[in-house]
Order: sequence, then structure tokens, then C-alpha cells
Amino acid sequence: MEMPSAAPGTPPVLQLVGICKYFPGVIANEDVNLDVRPGEILALLGENGAGKSTLMNVVTGIYQPDAGEMILDGYGAEFASPQEAIRAGVGMVHQHFKLVPAFTVAENIHLGWSETPRNASPAVLEARTRALSEQFGFPVNPSARVEDLSAGEQQRVEILRVLARRARLLILDEPTAVLTPAEARDLFSALRAFRAGGNAVIIISHKLDEVMEISDRVTILRGGRNVGTWETRECSPRMLAATMVGREIVPQDMRARSEGAAPRGVAPELSLRGVSVRDERGVETLSDVTLDVFGGEILGIAGVAGNGQRELTEVLTGLLSPERGEVLLGGQTAPPGADAFARSGVGHIPQDRLHSALAPPLGTTDNMALREYRAPPIGGSGLFRADAALALAREIVGLAEVRIPDFGAPVRNLSGGNQQRLVARREMRIASRVLVAAYPSRGLDIGAIATMHRYFAELRDKGVAIVLVSEDLEELLNLSDRIGVMFHGRLMATLDAEDADIERIGLLMGGRDVGEDVASGGGVA
Amino acid sequence: MTRFQRFPTAPARLVLAWRAAALVAAALIVGGLLALSGRDVFVLGELVLRSTVGSRFGLEDLALFMTPLVLTGAAVTVTSRIGLWNIGGEGQFYLGAIGAAGVGLYMPGPQIVVLPLMALAAIACGMAWIVVPTLARAYAGVSEIITTLLLNFVAGLLTYWLATGPWRDRVTGALASSGRISDAIPELWGVVHWGFPLSLAIAAGLAAIMTWTSWGYEVRVSGANPGAARYAGMPMRGRVIAVMLLSGALAALAGMFEVAGTVHRLQGGMADNFGYLGIVVAVLARRSCLAVIPAALLMALILDAGIVLQTQQLAATAVLAITGLVLLLIAIGDELAHYRPVAPASSTRSGAAA
Repeated sequence: MEMPSAAPGTPPVLQLVGICKYFPGVIANEDVNLDVRPGEILALLGENGAGKSTLMNVVTGIYQPDAGEMILDGYGAEFASPQEAIRAGVGMVHQHFKLVPAFTVAENIHLGWSETPRNASPAVLEARTRALSEQFGFPVNPSARVEDLSAGEQQRVEILRVLARRARLLILDEPTAVLTPAEARDLFSALRAFRAGGNAVIIISHKLDEVMEISDRVTILRGGRNVGTWETRECSPRMLAATMVGREIVPQDMRARSEGAAPRGVAPELSLRGVSVRDERGVETLSDVTLDVFGGEILGIAGVAGNGQRELTEVLTGLLSPERGEVLLGGQTAPPGADAFARSGVGHIPQDRLHSALAPPLGTTDNMALREYRAPPIGGSGLFRADAALALAREIVGLAEVRIPDFGAPVRNLSGGNQQRLVARREMRIASRVLVAAYPSRGLDIGAIATMHRYFAELRDKGVAIVLVSEDLEELLNLSDRIGVMFHGRLMATLDAEDADIERIGLLMGGRDVGEDVASGGGVA
Repeated sequence: MTRFQRFPTAPARLVLAWRAAALVAAALIVGGLLALSGRDVFVLGELVLRSTVGSRFGLEDLALFMTPLVLTGAAVTVTSRIGLWNIGGEGQFYLGAIGAAGVGLYMPGPQIVVLPLMALAAIACGMAWIVVPTLARAYAGVSEIITTLLLNFVAGLLTYWLATGPWRDRVTGALASSGRISDAIPELWGVVHWGFPLSLAIAAGLAAIMTWTSWGYEVRVSGANPGAARYAGMPMRGRVIAVMLLSGALAALAGMFEVAGTVHRLQGGMADNFGYLGIVVAVLARRSCLAVIPAALLMALILDAGIVLQTQQLAATAVLAITGLVLLLIAIGDELAHYRPVAPASSTRSGAAA
């Protein structure tokens, strides 16, 4: 190991002793002990709502603990604000970036920083940013506007911003959720370099493979409490998963049909015939896509994010009408508009639930009525019957097994997992023909993902056609009957999941057609 | 140990309690300052109370102030439901007044015909005044805040031009004023005309539409998240256009009520900031059409009290400062209503962590 072992007697960079944090009706953290040593990467693992984010918000001064002690380099510390935390060398990069989109990279790096020179001309700031970028090994373009950057580039700016303020403890909340595999690799090598300098990293993650790859030790939280800390090399993904959810996770082949399941349909429920789409800049984002989805099957769509998946799901759900080509619903030309698709039995779990599937400031009742407000019992003759909407919301919430204390309280206060369950159940209700689900397990923990997969299998067995867009190949192979691979807006191929292997899908995802030279290097996976 | 924690929602009764406290605090601060400047606070206070809620004359005045404020407040509230701000209530008010005065001055006929015609003309003019900002917003994404605001100045000058030019009073020679309009909204109680109960009914009707119709639901969702509205296939653009035109019509109706109920002429400057105060009313009402009514009452009380204080040699700027103080303290009260005590140790431990 290239990890420099700290001299004996060196205190941990950060030690937490008996930290408690309560919210009304909820124990967010109770009696949590944790330590991070110089020169190590500690993974913090736990299900949605296990208290990881709250704990890190306590560490970075966003929350104050209700009880317990924080010890920094052997001395007690209290942070009244994130600014105090960063001054003490503790910096955090949040899952949702906190950058000013209209500012340049250099401006964002220097924003709210005591060391920003008084002469804050673009040239000076950009020169300083360039120097910092080289010093820490995070390549950024100082004069670029943040809104024009990819998620991976924005993340580099965030990290550089924290490192520039001389952080010695870097906390990352699910850093790879928004990254392509290549960007994730770059991030990991940068983190290893940071660790080699005797600094410490806490990384919050759901992805067990990642935890195994990058971390030195793992601390697991469950129900707000600390379950334990292990050396990563003594762990297996299976053991971590079981400890995290408190029970053994049995990976199951969801392709097996239950008894009495509807057979695969003979005529396609939803078809695309030579469909092409251009974005507003005139770039073709979907090129000549032809596919059929049959009832009682799950069609997986693989591909690196941004290769036309969004456009594909929007065409399949009526949100986008194709520039060329035809969309057929049950063999007929599909009626235009998302509303008409929904009424014909097409459900849609979109990739960003907060941006499009839910109205965050509104209550559960209003949000659950989104698909059924037009027809009785809620709608009809122009009315909106709130009592019927509430009854519907109660029904969906019951099926989703979510606890909602107040149906009028904004849904933005629910956890990501609960939001996703509600959306999934709402869409399953209307999906009598087709369900299109884009990245349904993104940001969910293992337990919630298993629930989501069970939902899909249930629906498939009822004879519904399911299109599952995902970047997780294992998820696709576990669930799908057939897998289509997207690259640069084209559907490269559709394979039977039986004889599809990760290697071949990886090659297709990288834009290589089958039969081309396979020997020259690994595919993108 | 009891601790206070900020909650994402504020229950209505807490908001009300804190606002009451804010009003009391404002009264104490203003009273203290007046006492320091050597005035007899109790005499002033009695005078203010007597000339607002303590006498028939005062109550009539309050109702007259409230009528346009309810409508301009509702005009801003309906747009805020869909996430937009109509800052042009002042201009649409003027256009409503112009439309109503045009019919009243130049179309003789029986009152039963002329009054509805005046209202229709006002609504048509108010809608016409907001149609360009509406289409610019709906089709080109142009900020409606800027466009509606700028048109206010045009409308104000247009009114002056009409009242000093082609429509000027040629009988009595009143300054910046048209001739007297003979058709008036019938009076109900003293000088209070039927516009008052009508404006209350309109606010209540709007509240019902927003809560109990699928149209209101679509407006609510579109305002809360345009992405979700698109996802559900709601006709966003149509709703934006309808809501903005409705808003223009409401502000214009306030202008018509003012012309036909209170002023009986078209006068330069007659909107008297009612359009802008509608924004304040809407902010106080927190997006509820029904709450526009008490918010307009509070605003009317402040305006009325201000006039009384001005008769006692208090500067108009002092009155403006008092208005600002009241609004500031109410804003603080609204924020405080988000805080509730929590007892961490006892009750919460039994609950499972989410």
C-alpha cells in the first residue's frame, strides 16, 4: 500500500464521540462514534435516511449536535457555520453542487474567500485558479462559465474550491452519482493523490463496488446509529450490503416469472419506426431508432448517460414528438401529447423526479392526483374534488408503504427513496400498457432498489410492457428480457439478455459494432 | 430542555398569532416614537381609532379603500399562483378607469345597460394592456415583471393626457379631470357602493376556482413546477395566458369601480398606488385569494390611519415609514411562525428513525 502510515500517537484528523442529532419525531443520529485518520479514505455507508448526510452536516457546521463531542486533531471543536468548518480544514462537496451557474470557474473558486485578492479582475482570478488547479491536480478551465460545464467538471470546481481553502478533511456526498465511469476513475486517482499527502477523505456512497475500490475503512450507519467500522480489505460487498440493511440481501434473478404470469405479448404495445429527434441547436439527438416493446417483457436500455436516453424516454411517453419517423401505440399511430399517452396507459418514471415528476412545494395529495385529476372521481365537469384526491393519495401511499404524517406538507421534505416510491406507485396505477422508467434506482439504497425491482417484476407479470433505462449493467441483466444499447442517439443493437454479456454490451456502449476489431482495448463499461 | 427549530411549513394559526404580535409591536414602536417627539399618543390613538373603526364615517372610508385593494391584491395573487408577478396592476387600473370613463362619458343610455358596458369596456382595456406582456411571457419567455411595470408609466401618462386633453372637463374646469360621469354604481350604505360586496364576492369566487376546479389545480401545479406540468401534459401556455389576462381584468375592474363608484370622473393620478399596494396585499395574503380580504383590510386601515395622522401635521414620509415598519415586522413574524419548540429527549426517542 502506498498509504503513508501516520506516526504512532498521531491523533485522528477528526473524531466524533457520542454525537446525537434529533429532528421532531425522528432520530437522525444517536450516539455515533467515528474517527478518520490522516492518510486514509473512510467510506460512510448506509441506506437512505440512515443519517449519513445529517452526520456530515453536523461535522461541517450546518447543524449543531444535540449531544456529543467533535475532536479535531486532538482538540475539541465546535462549528457554528460551514465557514468556520472550512477555516478549520473541514470541507464538504455536496451531492447537489452549490456553485453560481452564471459565474466563471475562477469567480466561483474565489467567492466568499478571505484570501481573494482585492484586485479581483478576471485575469488575476484566472491566473490564481490556474495555479491552484495545477497545484492540486484538478484540471479546470478558469474562464468557463459553470453553467456550461458537465457534472463532472462542476464537481472538480467544487472540490478545488474546498482544497484551495486548505482543507485537510474532504467530505464527498455520493460523488460518482453524476459522473461517467471515466470521470469517476479520474476522481478516484485524484483522491488517492490527496490521501498520499497525509490528508483524509470521508466518502458517502451507495455503490458497494466503489467503496471496495477506493476506501481504506468502512463505517456503516443504520437507523441513525453506528453499526461498526471495518477495514475494507476484510469486507465483501455481500457482507457490507447485509450489514447496511440489517438482513441478508439475496440477489435474485428477477427474470423468472411468477406462476400465472401473463405471457409475452405477440403484438407490440409500443413501437418506434425510424424515429429521429433534433434539439434546439439542430443536433440530432436521436437517430433513426426502431424498436418494439411487447407486453409482459422488460426491455432494458443500456448506454452511457447523455447518448439519447432522455430523448428516447420523452418520445416513448409522448413528451417529445419526433421530427421524423412514427410512434405506434398498440399498432395505431399514437395520439400526440403526454396527456394522451398517459390516458392510453403509458406510465413514466422520469430520470429527475423532483424536476418533472413532482411539484416539490405542493403536498402529497396534489402530487398523487397529477395523473388522474382529469377524470372522475377527482375530476369531471371541470371540478377538482379534494376529498377524492386525498383518498387516491392515501391509497397510493399505502401501496408504496410510505409513512406520510401530513398529506398537505410539501413533498420536497420527503426522502429521495420515498419520493421515488410514490412516483413509481402513481405511474404503475396508470401503466395498463407500458411503463417507461429512466434510472429508477439512481440515488436509492439497496433496500429501495430491491423494492423498485419487485414493482417492475410485478407489473411485467401482469402483462405490461416495461422499458427500463439504466446505466447499471447488473440491474439491466437481472431484470431485462432484451437489452438495447444506445450510442450517440442510435440504437446500436438489441440483444436477448440470455446471451448478452457485459463485455459485449460495453463495446456497444462505446460505439463499436459487433464484428469490428474487438482485440484493441477494453470497452467502456 | 426545550429547543426551537425551524420547520419548512408554518401553520396558519401561528402565522396569525405572530402577525398580531407584529401589529402590537408596530403600534408600540410608533407610539413610543410619537411620544418621544412630544406628541400626546393617547389623543392621537383615539383620533385614529375613532376615524377608522370607531365611527360610521371611518368604516365607510375603510370599505372604500378596501374595494380597489381587494381587486388589485387578487390580481397579483392569481399570477403568483402560477409563479408569475403582475407588477402592472397600476397601469391596468388606469386602463380600466379609461375604458369605464369612455363609455360613461360618451355612451348615454339607461344605467342598467351602461354600468355593465362600463365594466366590460374596463375589462377589455385592462386585458389589452397586459396582452403584450402576456404573449411575450408565454411565447418568448420575456420577464413579465419588467414589461408590466414599464407599461404603468405609459398608462399613467395616457390618463393625464385624456384628462387634460380630449376628455377634459369643459363645464367646471376641474384640473386634470374629465367631466362628471352621471352613471354611478348604486350606493349600499352611506357612500359605500355595491362594488364593495362585489369585490369581496370576486375574491371568494377566485378562491373557490383555485381550490375546487381542475383549472385551478393545473394553475397550482404549473406554478409549483413547470416541469411537472409539462410531464403531466398540462397546457402550460394556455394557463399562463388565461391567468395573466384574468389578472389584468381584475386590476381594470378596480379602476372601473373607482370611476363609477367613488370618483365619478377620470382623473390623472387617480390610481393612487392601488396597483402597487396590490402587490403588498398579495404578499400579505401569502398566495391565498381568500386571505386577500383581511390583507386588504389591514392595508386600508394603514392608509386610513395615515391620512388621519397627516391631518395632525405628521409628514407623509412618516406615514410611509410606519407602513414600512408594519410590513417589516409582519415579515419577521411570518418567519418566526416557522419555528416551533421541540423536546428532543422525551417524546422523540420512541419514534423510529426514518
